[in-house]
Amino acid sequence: MIVDGFFIAGAILCAITVFLGILATIIRAYPDDFALVSVALLEVFLVVYGISAAIRQAGGQAISGVPWEFWGYFITALLIPALAFIWAVTDKSRWSNTVLAVSGVIVFVMLFRMEQIWDGAIAA
Amino acid sequence: MSESNKQAAKRSRIIDAAQKRSETDRPRRSNGGRSSGLGRIIIAVYGVLALSATVRALYQILMDFSAAPLAYLLSALAGLVYIVATLALASKKPGSWKLSWYAVWFELIGVLVVGALSYLLPALFAHPAVWSHLGSGYGYVPLVLPIIGLWWLHKHRTDTGN
Repeated sequence: MIVDGFFIAGAILCAITVFLGILATIIRAYPDDFALVSVALLEVFLVVYGISAAIRQAGGQAISGVPWEFWGYFITALLIPALAFIWAVTDKSRWSNTVLAVSGVIVFVMLFRMEQIWDGAIAA
Repeated sequence: MSESNKQAAKRSRIIDAAQKRSETDRPRRSNGGRSSGLGRIIIAVYGVLALSATVRALYQILMDFSAAPLAYLLSALAGLVYIVATLALASKKPGSWKLSWYAVWFELIGVLVVGALSYLLPALFAHPAVWSHLGSGYGYVPLVLPIIGLWWLHKHRTDTGN
């Protein structure tokens, strides 16, 4: 897998989400605004990532894996921050911050898989 | 406006803004906070486990039942009880506490008994099942989850009044 700018940006955003979510779980008894914003930013990143991926694939850039698999992961990843956000809105407790943190972990795994599908996985 | 803002000052503005729009004045039944906060996470994990265990057991029974009938039937039973536990934990009906209490106990006993049997009589459990080897195929979630669930239910007991 090639570590490109998208992957680095996404990984940093995921790390921020996880960090803020865990921190907020410890110090807040209520969903934290910074954690919520970080999840929203993650969603924005995914949208940008998706648009750019569509342009790159439409422009004939090679994807070594199966495209529908890539897009399947993409759509699933797109749902995760939104669901975590809805979770926090509908359950105003400390533990919603944990859910926000977990959403960062899940999105990271999916981003990792998408990059693997794109570049061809090194035997894992 | 300023009154509620003051109260919300230490809370989340995003959540409160979203809340204001969805605020309704219908009375809500409570189950003692069992299905909010950490409880909601527990219910979600139960839901995922219920779905994966049931679907996998059905698949195994339909595709290759004769390979390990006992293990597969136990998996199906486990999946059904997980479904009951998920629904009962989330329910606000009176009596749902008791039902979830028994369902979660059933799972704990099941994973311990079947887990022990799978070590003692491996021939019966040669094929993967939810409870064999203490749920190792599911990251030991089937072992840990009922313990957390019982602790949580104990903390949010609501059947004492009935």
